Amino acid sequence: MGDIIKLGLFLMLVAAVAGLGVGYVNIMAAPLIEKQILEEKIRSFKEVYPEGDNVKNETAKYLGVPDPILKEVNISYRSGIPVGVIYLAQTKGYSGAITILAGFDLVSGKIIAVKVLIQTETPGLGAKAKEPAFQNRYKEKDSVTELEVSKTPPTRENQIQAITASTITSKAVTKGVNAAREHFVATFGAAKQK
Amino acid sequence: MSLMQEFTKGIVKENPLFRLVLGTCPALAVTTSVENGLGMGAAFTGVLLASNIVISLMRSIIPASVRIPAYVVIIASFVTMTDQLMHAFTPSLYKALGIFIPLIVVNCIILGRAEAFASRNSILPSIMDALGMGLGFTIALGLVSTFREVLGAGTFLGIQILPESVPAILMILPPGGFITLGCLLALLNKLQKKYAW
Repeated sequence: MGDIIKLGLFLMLVAAVAGLGVGYVNIMAAPLIEKQILEEKIRSFKEVYPEGDNVKNETAKYLGVPDPILKEVNISYRSGIPVGVIYLAQTKGYSGAITILAGFDLVSGKIIAVKVLIQTETPGLGAKAKEPAFQNRYKEKDSVTELEVSKTPPTRENQIQAITASTITSKAVTKGVNAAREHFVATFGAAKQK
Repeated sequence: MSLMQEFTKGIVKENPLFRLVLGTCPALAVTTSVENGLGMGAAFTGVLLASNIVISLMRSIIPASVRIPAYVVIIASFVTMTDQLMHAFTPSLYKALGIFIPLIVVNCIILGRAEAFASRNSILPSIMDALGMGLGFTIALGLVSTFREVLGAGTFLGIQILPESVPAILMILPPGGFITLGCLLALLNKLQKKYAW
């Protein structure tokens, strides 16, 4: 009996010291980590919509009911005037969730750029979705027509060529972009005409 | 054994992956590219070094009957700290290695070295043991990932070296990992018999 208490106390002591160590490191590192994540997000915003000088998260205003794909609606402002919309969308890829950012221009109604933020696709195959070579295929596409994935070099303006041997990944990214595109046209389509 | 022997044994004679066949789970999972393989090896070596030092220093005060839970707590704490510190101070390195850090907790080589070596030896041999085992594991991961990346993606460290049409996608998928590791183990067994290590 005495042994059990002694061993238990020893383990408690080890865990307490370890806990203190981890806690101390966490207190030191947590604010820095938070800053990194925020900076990374701002950098990504700049990549998909470089024009604005201030980005505001207005998900609550534009996304009344929770959407299965769209997670965030961010409005990009330049000198206080809204100029672009940046969507954060999440779809299911080949081996897990794919999170993408899609930037739309309010004046031209075009897709400015698409960026894959988080993915766990097969390295060498689906993971190629995060490379510019694939992401650039969405640049300057019109927001009115639905985008399609094609396995051969595109013949129509609304076609996106799939990554070789990774059609599921390509379709998942396109699905996210299409959801953003539909919401953009439905919500901001009127703004385009004036 | 001399300190130098403690260091070199982990590289060939007692290579953790090829001779002891430990740590095969991370070895199969991360060796899809050379960059990933070497990154995992580096992160692994850091944690093994820290845990070997602490466990060697504490070897006389840890009661034998609760040593395993004590080791697990120590190793998991180091992994968590490494993860947080890397995320905070070296974000670019964390971006490349981040996904492998939590995997190190379940790497059986670290627990294996704690149990088989650090808990029975003083600090200097334990440091040499950790460095040798770390280097051995890194070399092993580098070797497996070289075969897989070159044959599966046609690249080496991201640089295209084979024409686009040559690579066999199978090699970077899970079966390719098993095939590569199996062939390398067979080859090393053959060499070992021939040269009688």
